[in-house]
Amino acid sequence: MSGVNRKEKKYAKLMRNQPSNFTFSSADPGAGRSGMGPSEPQTDNPNYSCFTSHQGVNGDHGQQQQVGSSHQPSSYGDRQRGSHRGGFRGQRGSSRGSYRSYSQEIPKIITATNFAQARAAEINAMLKAVTHKSGSQFLQSLPPAMRRRAMSHNLKRLPRRLREIAKKEVEKIAQLKKEQSKSKSRKARRRHGNLLMEFNRRQRKNIWLETHIWHAKRFHMVKKWGYCLGTKPTTKSYRACYRAMSKQCLLQDLSYYCCLELNGTEDNLLKTLTCLSSREAGTTFASVACLSGKCQGSLVLYKADQYPEKPLGPVTFLWRPKTLSENRQLWIWAHPALKMDLLTELQLVCQCLDVPVPEPAPSECRTVTRTPVKQAKVIGSKRKLHDKAGEQVVPEKKIIGNGTRDPLETVIWTSLTTGIVIEDLTMEILRYRLIGPLSHCVMFEAIQAAGILKNSEGREETGLHSWWSEYCESPENVTLHNRQEGVLLLLPGIASPAEISAGTVLGLTVGDPRLNMPKNRTTAMPDPTQPKDLEKIRELCLNGVGAECAQSQIWDRNIRNIVTETKITEQELNGMRSKLLVPGTRLDLGPQESKIPILLVQQPGKMAGQEHTGWGSGWDILIPKGWGMAFWIPLIYRGARAGGLQEGAKHTQYKGLPHFPDDFPDCPAGMQHSEETEKELIAKYKKYPPAKRPNYIHHGTMTPFRCPWQRLVEDWETQNQDGGIKPTMSDQEQGLRSELQASNREAVGVHEKGAFEEISSEEKPPNLEEKMEEESESMTTLEQNTGCKNIHNPSNRDCSSKSGHVSILRNRKLLKQVSAWCRPTSSRGQQTRQYRGSAPVQMTADTVKSVICSYPRFLVWVRLSLLKKGSPVANATICIPSKEDLQRLASEPNCSGPQEPKHRDPFKQECKALRKSQKKRTLPQDSETAAGDLERKSASSFGKVLIRGLWPTQPLNVMSHCSRLTIGYVSQGDFSLTVGCGEAWGFVSLLGLLRMVLSQPAERRGLALVRSPASLQYRFAKINIEV
Amino acid sequence: MAENQPLAPASEGALDMDQVEYTLRKRLPRKLPKRKNDIYVNMKTDFKAQLARCQKMLDSGCFSEICIHGLGLAINRAINIALQLQGGSFGALQIAANTSTVELVDDLELDEGEPLTRTRNNSAIHIKVFHTLPK
Repeated sequence: MSGVNRKEKKYAKLMRNQPSNFTFSSADPGAGRSGMGPSEPQTDNPNYSCFTSHQGVNGDHGQQQQVGSSHQPSSYGDRQRGSHRGGFRGQRGSSRGSYRSYSQEIPKIITATNFAQARAAEINAMLKAVTHKSGSQFLQSLPPAMRRRAMSHNLKRLPRRLREIAKKEVEKIAQLKKEQSKSKSRKARRRHGNLLMEFNRRQRKNIWLETHIWHAKRFHMVKKWGYCLGTKPTTKSYRACYRAMSKQCLLQDLSYYCCLELNGTEDNLLKTLTCLSSREAGTTFASVACLSGKCQGSLVLYKADQYPEKPLGPVTFLWRPKTLSENRQLWIWAHPALKMDLLTELQLVCQCLDVPVPEPAPSECRTVTRTPVKQAKVIGSKRKLHDKAGEQVVPEKKIIGNGTRDPLETVIWTSLTTGIVIEDLTMEILRYRLIGPLSHCVMFEAIQAAGILKNSEGREETGLHSWWSEYCESPENVTLHNRQEGVLLLLPGIASPAEISAGTVLGLTVGDPRLNMPKNRTTAMPDPTQPKDLEKIRELCLNGVGAECAQSQIWDRNIRNIVTETKITEQELNGMRSKLLVPGTRLDLGPQESKIPILLVQQPGKMAGQEHTGWGSGWDILIPKGWGMAFWIPLIYRGARAGGLQEGAKHTQYKGLPHFPDDFPDCPAGMQHSEETEKELIAKYKKYPPAKRPNYIHHGTMTPFRCPWQRLVEDWETQNQDGGIKPTMSDQEQGLRSELQASNREAVGVHEKGAFEEISSEEKPPNLEEKMEEESESMTTLEQNTGCKNIHNPSNRDCSSKSGHVSILRNRKLLKQVSAWCRPTSSRGQQTRQYRGSAPVQMTADTVKSVICSYPRFLVWVRLSLLKKGSPVANATICIPSKEDLQRLASEPNCSGPQEPKHRDPFKQECKALRKSQKKRTLPQDSETAAGDLERKSASSFGKVLIRGLWPTQPLNVMSHCSRLTIGYVSQGDFSLTVGCGEAWGFVSLLGLLRMVLSQPAERRGLALVRSPASLQYRFAKINIEV
Repeated sequence: MAENQPLAPASEGALDMDQVEYTLRKRLPRKLPKRKNDIYVNMKTDFKAQLARCQKMLDSGCFSEICIHGLGLAINRAINIALQLQGGSFGALQIAANTSTVELVDDLELDEGEPLTRTRNNSAIHIKVFHTLPK
């Protein structure tokens, strides 16, 4: 194997100086000739004679060339050796043979000039190859028997006649190396200015967060979404991070989230933004609590008027509390993978496409010196303040904010019609997330409200922070600041962030957090001895923070810029510290101290479901750019543990929420993500030898690296229409189901409410009659709903079935209903508890049917908790247990679940044949068979790519491929540290889910089977839909 | 008791609670600062395990007394644990119980309009288990 590699390398070396029209080909000996010129005679003998005649002209080189073409993979050294030994003639003979068998199409006429030119180019190339001597040439000129160890090291081991030449060679090489080596020593490269330049260069392609260097020393970094991000700590800390999340405090840098600012009148903004979301899915931009600016809202955005199809992705948004001006500001925070989609959609909706306004006055903080010519000079020479021409070298500035953006690129778009201004605030505002019950204490210790400046203290004294003295001039602002400070002081009295209302926003202006840093890393703990104002704390918990307390100067662009510019550098700060009278005491800057406006946003923990409510709650800190490290280190010094992307994903997972972009298969970003991961996983799979990787065909897994949502939904829809493809092995068909299918068949395509009622009255399954009469009222209301919906947007439904798009159910009302249906009825009457307003809709065949008809191709986000052993992995299948499975589970509760019988691999023979032919092709052989093989290979590669153990074609029938019917797939699964058993999160087809639930007995409702892609074992799991 | 609370949103909420559909989200009960000898009893952990934990704490000799707290449904269990501890000690342990009321906060999420908060009260018990003769 290594020999082959070496040969290839040599070949590549040889080809380095070849002209473009001269190519060797290793596969076909004749093919080398095709490059020689456009014109060569066709028949055998004239061909040869003609060739030799030309050879005569070319002389010696012509001969060499022939050798080169006949004896392909041999390198230059081999050839030389060959000539030493005098084995030249024999090779020539063999080459002649191959020319005879050569029968390619060749033009009949030769143009002499062209031909001569081509030959001349070849000759030149060969001359170049001969004269250019690579490093170890003198060694290779010796026959192997004469070579000695370490000859290149000690020249005296060479025969004397070669020493002179070798000496020259060695000197030449040494000189070459010297020239090539880096012009700078490590010390020089590590000098501050040069280092900064290097850092700035590296930041041009991918944005660095402000904590990048800190992270790069401690985390595994990846380049994702145009950023350099830390995935997980290099230390072994998976569980430690989990403990930090649930008991202490975990810190995460979320500055890579993009902020888009919308500015306009409230009416205009609301009018334009309503079409992006729907009331059905929960919060909207117009939600009362969010609109006042009191709390942060989160929602899933859709393309304009496309709900429930074509979602864009999840965002969080924040309104600025009302100010004196009429315009309102709205921040939309989105994941970078979603930003471009969102931005284009917003521009479209706000009609901002036409008038891109170039960025106003370039703010000084963004002045990144970009003088490539000068930089090149600086790199070459030593560090000098003045270069040779005597002009000042512009010192490189640290990039703050987005270093990849072209300074001329527009970031502001204005609409003439609506007056809305959209601004891209990417990397302008940093966002740190504190997770865990101690995040309170950490924050409280790290942050202290800024001191208010008295009027007596003149503006000249405050110097740089004039905005703060101006702000303090008005008494209203001072009272507001005092109130905000009061709220902050109350916080340590609250033990966990989950105790105050979700999404609370608190604006603050704080002093420089670097000034009161502890000397060592400490752990912030609540202090029980501290006196607390219990009444006020209670008030805070109940009513939250007032809307006016959410006001902060961070919303003001100018003030943000001033704050960023006037930051005292670490160096200056340390200089001042060193001048302190008593070393080690707190540095008191007085009015000179920086004042930073920030926002604190409470992050609700686990909201959905009954278990572990409030888990993983915490605070987000929003800081103006430039202050990243100044806040990061103090937080770390208060005992926060840093986490990366992995911890962030786990956090959302344990909260039971879908993680973006992994768990949004209906969003463009999600689709792209799944494609990318599939490619990666296949590449990884192919790296293993076939015996050391699972054969997924045997395991009955058609798509081990992605989830074929669309096929699944389509399969269920067609099955619903045709009324029954049975799974290959089980006979779980039962009376109720066939009844249902029969009725469904007729119900499909009927949208009118009247028709529904007709069917439901005529085709009542006899066994359900009494039940239906009891629930007739609630049922009809539901039918009315669905009927109306169908009438209202029939076009939507049609397009969904045509385009074959998959949608995820986000209608809260329906989700609640389905969630109630999936619960076993025996458990403590939970169903009734949640719906006090309207009577719960009982699950009957007809209600289910109506849901199915109105939501035919929808997926539902579910959480699966395994009953016994096992922890499923991503892309595991979720299946319907057969009747026998459930019986078996009832009779022996310790059984681990059924097994999938091993599948046959129908592609095994094909794979083997392909492999064989590939092997054959590598061996030297006649050109005819080679051509045949090539044909066969191309035929097979056109149809499908065969990889042993993977299903080669598009999956056809994913639903009924295995012995149990598949209803969904797991998008992420793991052993859950919160629950202490295997848990999985994924989507199931709504149709499949309802079918499953209908067929199950009431006390065992919501039991499903989960099977990992590389396993035959099904495991029992409980389906939870948490709303 | 809930009616006596001087909370405007809560009383308003009670009015239209029946008409509007809402989602009830219970917030966590207020956490109190915890000493090392405080034991909060819950209904999820196995009874035996909780009993063993208390027993171990008493036997370790580090604490002359432990405090067992139970809220709501867990009151029964807290009492049970305390009595079992006392019964198993052959008179070496004594118990002293205190009851209290804990205020709990619920969030009512409406589909439209401002979310409401509501307070309700729940009983709690705090049982001190201590050695009669300090070792």
